[in-house]
Amino acid sequence: MNYDCLIIGGGISGLTCGIKCVSEGLRCGILSSGMSALHFSSGSIDLYGYHTNRKIVYQPLDYIERLIIPEGRHPYSKCGIDMIREGISFFSETLEKEGLVLYHNNDYNHFHVSTMGTVKPTYLSQRSVFNDNIKEGFKKRSKIAILNFSGFRDFYPELAAENLRKNSLFSLFDIITGEIELPLFRRTEKNPHEFRSMDIARIFDSEKYLPGIANQIVNASGGALFVGLPAFIGINNFTRIYQRLSELTGMLIYEIPTLPPSILGMRIDDALKSRFASLGGEFIAGDTVNGGEIVNGVLDHIHTENHGSTRLRSKFFVLSSGSFFSRGLVSEFNVIREPVFDLKVAASEDRREWYSPSFFQKESHPFLEYGVVTNNTLNPEDTQGATVENLFCTGAILPHYNPIREGCGGGVAISTGYFAAKKIIEGCRS
Amino acid sequence: MINLENISFDHCIKCTVCTIYCPVARETHLFPGPKQSGPDTERLRIKDPYLVDDSLKYCSNCKRCEIACPSGVKIADLIQVAKFQHLKKKIRVRDFFMSRTDLVGRLATFMSFLTNFVINLLPVKFFMDVILKIPFGRSFPKYASGTFHGWAKKKMPDQSKFRTKAVYFHGCYVNYNNHQLGKDLVDVLNAMNIGVITENEKCCGVPLIGNGYIDKAKKNAAHNIQALSRALGEEGTRIVSTSSSCSYALKYEYANLLELNNATIYDKVDYITKYLYSQFESGNIPPMKPVNLRAAYHSPCHLERMGGVIYTINVLKEIPGLDLVILHSECCGIAGTYGFKKEYYEISQSIGANLFRNIEKADVEVVITDCETCKMQIEMNTPYEVLHPVQVLARAIKNNTR
Repeated sequence: MNYDCLIIGGGISGLTCGIKCVSEGLRCGILSSGMSALHFSSGSIDLYGYHTNRKIVYQPLDYIERLIIPEGRHPYSKCGIDMIREGISFFSETLEKEGLVLYHNNDYNHFHVSTMGTVKPTYLSQRSVFNDNIKEGFKKRSKIAILNFSGFRDFYPELAAENLRKNSLFSLFDIITGEIELPLFRRTEKNPHEFRSMDIARIFDSEKYLPGIANQIVNASGGALFVGLPAFIGINNFTRIYQRLSELTGMLIYEIPTLPPSILGMRIDDALKSRFASLGGEFIAGDTVNGGEIVNGVLDHIHTENHGSTRLRSKFFVLSSGSFFSRGLVSEFNVIREPVFDLKVAASEDRREWYSPSFFQKESHPFLEYGVVTNNTLNPEDTQGATVENLFCTGAILPHYNPIREGCGGGVAISTGYFAAKKIIEGCRS
Repeated sequence: MINLENISFDHCIKCTVCTIYCPVARETHLFPGPKQSGPDTERLRIKDPYLVDDSLKYCSNCKRCEIACPSGVKIADLIQVAKFQHLKKKIRVRDFFMSRTDLVGRLATFMSFLTNFVINLLPVKFFMDVILKIPFGRSFPKYASGTFHGWAKKKMPDQSKFRTKAVYFHGCYVNYNNHQLGKDLVDVLNAMNIGVITENEKCCGVPLIGNGYIDKAKKNAAHNIQALSRALGEEGTRIVSTSSSCSYALKYEYANLLELNNATIYDKVDYITKYLYSQFESGNIPPMKPVNLRAAYHSPCHLERMGGVIYTINVLKEIPGLDLVILHSECCGIAGTYGFKKEYYEISQSIGANLFRNIEKADVEVVITDCETCKMQIEMNTPYEVLHPVQVLARAIKNNTR
């Protein structure tokens, strides 16, 4: 197999990179070992959310340009502000071509509500989380109804409502909770307690019960302007279903993420994969890369579990295999490693420094800032300390940033993936 | 007692991604999904078999859960093993005959015209539906006259002139139903200066595993491992198969499910397109003329699981005049003998419904797929003929020699 670009890792960063590469006519493959972290994400794209003192950042691009880029080590510093802007618009346009529109607040951050009812700053959201009507409606400080389908266990309206009531942003709102029933529940063999977000999203997708559900929503929400529903308003037909449900209820419908799997994240995953395939990219699912051979600072080929002794060759490679959860990094008793090529990793050697004493500590955990060391063009170093010129590292595998504390995971994944793609396209042309 | 070695289910972090991508759980609530049937209940089953529930039987073993799992849990394998170990095996005439492909194949091909005639008679179909629980609406593959193995032994063109050879595991479908696919393979490989060896093989065991006849599957597997190892002979000889599920069984199910040592053949078995691709890559591309065909390609689940789809697509891309539409990867629903059983028939049909719609939308002349049962399912549910990649290749080669 001879590729122009072979990407290890099919998450948001690898897919962004792959789509850019194939759209420029490169032969590109993505190797993916299991579904990506998008399945557990909020489905909103964070660029930069918090100052070091935990205060909210309102203008993320401006903040990144003035305070993050000059600092030098952050992945954003390596991309530069123009690449970040270009990458984010490329990402938005890509999803729009697949019918999934992302909205932003004229370069300002907006807030989205988490499944716990906490409020987080973010930059891009789907229509059911941020749009002009929601923004205008919010100014009226009226009534919010948070509803759930009775029996659905992956969302707790009371918990979300209670946390929102404590938030000063919502102090002038009247927040109520309620339950509605799915007509299908009575005729199914399945106990409603066993339903997951996807089961309900598919029922919405069929459109069959929409008028009935809309009626129930209106009845249960006591004249509220906003209705917050767990995020399961359709998966393939989301845009259409959202529109119809808004019209049928006459209310502002707002989606709150549920416990995993996240329908909001899966909509993005579906759109990206579909775009990649329709441009002629080869997505190779369910395979694990075991290693590769680096000769004189050039990665010659890689080998995988499924392909056995067959060598997969490519002019350029991208390692976007994620962080610990996705097995892009692994922790052993007293060492943190990158398992595929054993690249140089920035991490403390003292296990006691890896984590903070409290799980929900505001400063988050140091291990989230560990990752593969790269030069300014995202090329890592092999075990001998030589730079690997044709390998780029992107996304959560990179060190020196904290996606939780800074609120920047999606932005870093997209910008570094896009940056690597630009370098690869340049390399293939020269 | 708890088997301490079998703790792979411990890697499950309960994310439910497998259940999202399970085609059976999508279509019926009778199946609680791979997460619950696999790693969740495995923890209970190993303590007390009383806690097994028979919804396990709905798993079609398509293995899409394993492709989706971010934590590397062999979910489908866990479920299959639990089925063998715990579900009471009802002796069913249907399951017995459905899994004995060699026995039935030999009988049916002996008087194939009669078999093909009788099996489509209304009273026979009615009888099968009511008594045997084989759905009335199901169509069956036609049986050929004689076996491919018999043809290969007596009538196959002389292969001794070729220095490079490949051992061909033809499988039951080529042996009893579709000789032409086997003959096409011989033509294709010969055109590439490669000789074909066939061995005295038995059914790979996939239908036996699917119907719970594990001891018989083990016997067949042991026979095949031995026969194929013997045939390998010279260094560099490969074993090829034109069936994606047979290849999967020889390579993976023998070791993972049947717990046999297949090390002698493991690294030598290729699904045919992987072998062809490596030949193409080294410059051995047969001379071809345009086929002038617009086709849709459907990737079978087991080929997806093996990571073999890219080889098929890349082999197809080498065929001149083939206008290829690659369909979104999804299960066709048949899953071997699953779709031939009355209790799963409706589930099987609704799993495939979206694929059939996409085929209709693709506006093509034929469909191409690697798997014989996918072919049966698609031919029954769409108006299109379904070809194997090797058959398309054979056409391009024949066009050249004409």
